[in-house]
Amino acid sequence: MSFLDRAERISHLRRAVGAIEGDRPRARLPLTRALDARLGGGLAGDGLHEIVPAASADAPAAFGFTLALAARFLARSGLGALLAVEDFALSQEGVPFGPGLVAQGLDLSRVVFVRAPDAGALFQTLEDALRSGALAVVVGEVWRLAKYDLGVSRRLTLAARAGSTPALLTLPTAQGARLSTAAQTRFEIAAAPSAREAPAGRARPLPGATAFSARIVKTRSGDADPARDIRLIWRAEEQRFDEPTISIPVAAAAADRSRQESA
Amino acid sequence: MVATQNNARRLVGVDANAERLGLAPGLTLADARARHPALVTVEADPAAQALALERLADASSRYTPLVALDGADGLMLDVSGVAHLFGGEDGLIEEARAAAALARFGRAACAPAGLEGKAFARLFHDMPVAALRLAPALAAELSRAGLRRIGDLAMRPRAPIAARFGADLIARLDELHGASRPSISPRFAAPDFLAERRFASPIQHLEAVEATLKRLADDLVVLLERRCKGARKLELALFRVDGAAWRLRIAASRPLNEARAISRLFQERLRYGEPIDPGFGIDLMRLSCLLAEDCEPSQHAFERAFEETQAKNLADLIDRLGARLGPSRVTRQILVDAHLPERSFLSRPAAKGPPPTGALETAERPLKLFERPEPIEALAEVPDGPPLRFRWRRVLREVAAIEGPERIAPPWWRGPGGPTRDYFRAEDSFGRRYWLYREGLYGETARPRWFLHGVFG
Repeated sequence: MSFLDRAERISHLRRAVGAIEGDRPRARLPLTRALDARLGGGLAGDGLHEIVPAASADAPAAFGFTLALAARFLARSGLGALLAVEDFALSQEGVPFGPGLVAQGLDLSRVVFVRAPDAGALFQTLEDALRSGALAVVVGEVWRLAKYDLGVSRRLTLAARAGSTPALLTLPTAQGARLSTAAQTRFEIAAAPSAREAPAGRARPLPGATAFSARIVKTRSGDADPARDIRLIWRAEEQRFDEPTISIPVAAAAADRSRQESA
Repeated sequence: MVATQNNARRLVGVDANAERLGLAPGLTLADARARHPALVTVEADPAAQALALERLADASSRYTPLVALDGADGLMLDVSGVAHLFGGEDGLIEEARAAAALARFGRAACAPAGLEGKAFARLFHDMPVAALRLAPALAAELSRAGLRRIGDLAMRPRAPIAARFGADLIARLDELHGASRPSISPRFAAPDFLAERRFASPIQHLEAVEATLKRLADDLVVLLERRCKGARKLELALFRVDGAAWRLRIAASRPLNEARAISRLFQERLRYGEPIDPGFGIDLMRLSCLLAEDCEPSQHAFERAFEETQAKNLADLIDRLGARLGPSRVTRQILVDAHLPERSFLSRPAAKGPPPTGALETAERPLKLFERPEPIEALAEVPDGPPLRFRWRRVLREVAAIEGPERIAPPWWRGPGGPTRDYFRAEDSFGRRYWLYREGLYGETARPRWFLHGVFG
């Protein structure tokens, strides 16, 4: 089979899958150019997206990245967000802190918090919330990975599509990266040193804006590239990721700008 | 039953057999034993008694919504207007006896209907004054004065009695004759709207309960719609044949007037809440609306804008999750103008509606806060300076960038509240960010301790 043949066949299959799954590119949320190119134009507004920490110690960073995505979804809609966490995660990893969420760029008055007693209740809550179609984004933090499998992720995906609501799921450990699930996208997130400021007369620099190092481990709509780290800087006040300063074609920038304005 | 009263072991309750032997509450245990050496006694358990009484009150609420606890060992049912449903007051008494209600002095607890004036007075003439539910001291004083029976009191002029024993006694007498009515503070609020079904043969399956629930909701919605009301608080009461009763309460975040929404909320509770054991069967189900609010009839729903539909969907979702997990698990956070981080937000049930949107200015705060700050070992350059490195959860972390201190002192105007805290925002060499604080200033405490209070995203 020649290379051209294969490329054609893959694109044909992709179109067929897209037709079956009812892919709607309009509902996509642009993040940054570097990510959008890989994701096929942004994050689907009616799919399940998993966020996995690169190491266990990066769990807070993964949660922060999840909330950054949630803040972007919130900013483009007038609806609210639901944040569901397992009880055990609260005692181990701390409780979501309102002032911190505001500092991350979320509108706290639109966030509903749910404490689920166990993983089963958590997934049931997420599914109901997605199906209701009354929310801009549904965020879940899984504590017990053992309860999360292909069946659960398939149910969440279907619910997300039924309610055209995006689902963001934070998995607890790096092992999540090896799971086989029905999710549309999977990010692997690590903390990255921020752009530190070093004012004169200080021994050590000040921390700058939150930075992440992201890998797209899996995507159904674009090309995953698990080997490449994409550095992202989150601007909480504007609810957007910094565009890296690289030279880019002018026409693309204009198209991008119009998309951001409409967002 | 035996309990210690006034330093003496006394009988506080007797069963039917003991009563036949002439034993009565109030007798000392020694006397009782002297009369009947084979007496079997049990220590009184006031807590269990109170519990049993409450259960009995729950069960009796099938007769009338106005049920109140009366003292430590009585129940008061206001049966005006409902007695005829059970074949008159006698019929009700029969039923109540069957349900083991208490008749305190072993006499007819209910005056025969149609008895007026003298005949009525005669009924009470021979009862001891204690039947008026007087304070023991007052009863003792009365008996010292030779007034042992209610008749003795009722025949005497009222003014001297009131002057000597207080107006309370006269009020009790009037209550007895029905001249005045004691206010009854019912155990359950009388509902605004109510629908109920009795079953000739008790139902034992939860499916049947759910099916009945739907019909009750239909009935209730008809009542609500007639008044253009919606239910904010609802209660479903299930009465089992043997007297056990369950009350499931639901609060809705918007006035509900759709049968489907109402029955779905209770279904969540029936399925996921505390299990209900139908036992020998449930013979009465009652759905009542405890709090109603004005609400436009649902026929106009299609006129509402799209966003309102979604707000409605969200309210329904919150109610459903609240019914399944408990309202305290579905919350919103409100920022409070307080400096201490753990006091700077409030969680309140989301069912109470969206919080005010006025955003407070917030500084850099962590995404997650530990409910109990975790102690760390920190090494600082100078004693009251920022840390160079610290050990948390057994891993040593080098501080690459740091901001601080942000000094937060507990509110001194509320009394002593612990030492001052100096907060630092630290970033380690990997870019992970932590919120640390040193508790106590040098001079305030001898050896300040370090804590990790939260992590940034």
